[in-house]
Amino acid sequence: MNRELVLAPPLAPPRWYRLRRQLRDAVLALPRYAALLLFGAFTVFPFWWATAAALSSDGAGIWIFPAAFLPNDPGLRWFGRVFYEMPFWRYFGNSLLISTATTLLVLLLTIPCAYALSRMAFRGRNALFVLLLVTLMVPAEVAIVPNFITCAQLGLLDSYVAVVLPNVAGAFGVFLMRQAFQDTPAEVLDAARVDGAGEFGVMCRVAVPMARPMIATLAVFTFVAAWNDYLWPAVVLKERLKMPLAVGIFNDLTGPFAVSTNLVMAAIVLSVIPVVGAFALTQRFFLSGGGLVRR
Amino acid sequence: MPMPGVHPRTAYLFIAPFFTVFAVFTLWPMLFNLWLAFRDYFPQTGNSMWNGFAHFVELADSERFGHALKNSLIFLLLVLPLQVGAFGLALLVHVRMPGIGFFRALYYLPVVIAVSIAAVVWQQVLRFDGLFNWFLESVHLIGFGEQPDWLGDRQLALYAVMAFSFWKNVGYYMVLYLAGLQTVPREPLEAAQIDGADAWQRLRHVVLPALQPVILLCTLLATIQALKAFQEVIVLTAGQADTQTALVYVFGVAFYGHNFGLAAAAGLIVTLVCLALAALQLRFFGEQGLLRRGG
Repeated sequence: MNRELVLAPPLAPPRWYRLRRQLRDAVLALPRYAALLLFGAFTVFPFWWATAAALSSDGAGIWIFPAAFLPNDPGLRWFGRVFYEMPFWRYFGNSLLISTATTLLVLLLTIPCAYALSRMAFRGRNALFVLLLVTLMVPAEVAIVPNFITCAQLGLLDSYVAVVLPNVAGAFGVFLMRQAFQDTPAEVLDAARVDGAGEFGVMCRVAVPMARPMIATLAVFTFVAAWNDYLWPAVVLKERLKMPLAVGIFNDLTGPFAVSTNLVMAAIVLSVIPVVGAFALTQRFFLSGGGLVRR
Repeated sequence: MPMPGVHPRTAYLFIAPFFTVFAVFTLWPMLFNLWLAFRDYFPQTGNSMWNGFAHFVELADSERFGHALKNSLIFLLLVLPLQVGAFGLALLVHVRMPGIGFFRALYYLPVVIAVSIAAVVWQQVLRFDGLFNWFLESVHLIGFGEQPDWLGDRQLALYAVMAFSFWKNVGYYMVLYLAGLQTVPREPLEAAQIDGADAWQRLRHVVLPALQPVILLCTLLATIQALKAFQEVIVLTAGQADTQTALVYVFGVAFYGHNFGLAAAAGLIVTLVCLALAALQLRFFGEQGLLRRGG
């Protein structure tokens, strides 16, 4: 609404009129809320059910349709059994270590690279850019076999280095950060350069603080991806006590340990809690849609 | 463009760490695959020798690979419902309403949960006597005693995996479309409204052309994701019940058959199909494509 064009201040609408409008808006929003709830049920029912099964002390009847969505004789005994039956905290620590190391290395490698690609002129810049673009089109899973051979040759199998290293230099992060650095005003950077700051100083003290939201987005994306990565760690790690949650729990849950579905669901709920917590704390970074895709 | 105080060598120092790791773990695998595809490789000794196109001849004759490729192409059918569903969801949550942030977070939740963990829950849901069949029975869609075994039936299992993949990924594309919708300029929309365009016409002639880059990005990503369908299959059915996709075949041949050369050849074929489909999509959804022509 273009307020400047209105010459005289409009009369305030009477109260009954405002009330009627609010009522009408609320009624019109009902179908939308119904659709939102319906799809919400579709996304959330597996985990709702898993939580209900995990909380059911009585293991019978967890598959019966409406009843299974409420815990049967609620209690926490399956959660206690999880810690007893599998090295949960060990897996948890491994996941934490792997995800943190991956995130830090990604930031350390990607930020200077993206900064140089967007803010410096050098020979071969466009060629490197096309190269990055092509690797985005090719399924990364095809690299698993050659990377496995590389790690075997370097003697890295069954080590955390082998889990982390192949995931720290991806094209996706460079594209994300390049976008952020291109939005940094050139005058600010030039001012810092004229004041005698080295290029590294300009990046650290001017460009990086200005790109903080996008850096946070990249960090969260990387952390969650590393936390959830199943395939590559499962391929390179052989020793059970080195495995992250996504691999260790999956192996334990589908192996001979899977005696009770309630127990399995309790382990799943425990492993999902940190992810959901991290997501709840950081979702505003990427769900507001501000930084993710910009043209 | 000369910049104050920037030595050209500095740029190479900035990109060197990233591109070193990138070269070893992203670029090298692609080249190595290309080389390996034409050779017999002996993992015990690390020796290899040229065998011409023998692997490709073997693949052309292989009934299992043909079948896996067919399954991957069926998986491609998922791209359309995934895009339509994600775009519909984005339109649904692209409003200012109390609680809308909660629903956005809810729809994104499956994306942040490890595929292996989510699959364990879905295995329970889709069991022969699982929650889903009980649901169908209680609404009288199927009778007692005719419950399908969603993950064990050769006719059904692949589609069950696709449904899981839809559930897991639709939130991801929703966020991308939502970010795109937030950048659609308001003026042409209002102009179209004043000119008497109805909701569908505004969507078709204003919103969709403005979203062209996002649609391109999303269909590209979804196509690659469908072609490389792999983790979903491994964790849900382990390739049983006729759910073997092309990359499951690659993985099986490499790590169980220890035939790395054959796996590389099959991987190369998948890569080429990916690149061909990417080129096709650039034609249809690119700058000069279908969406930009008013239609």
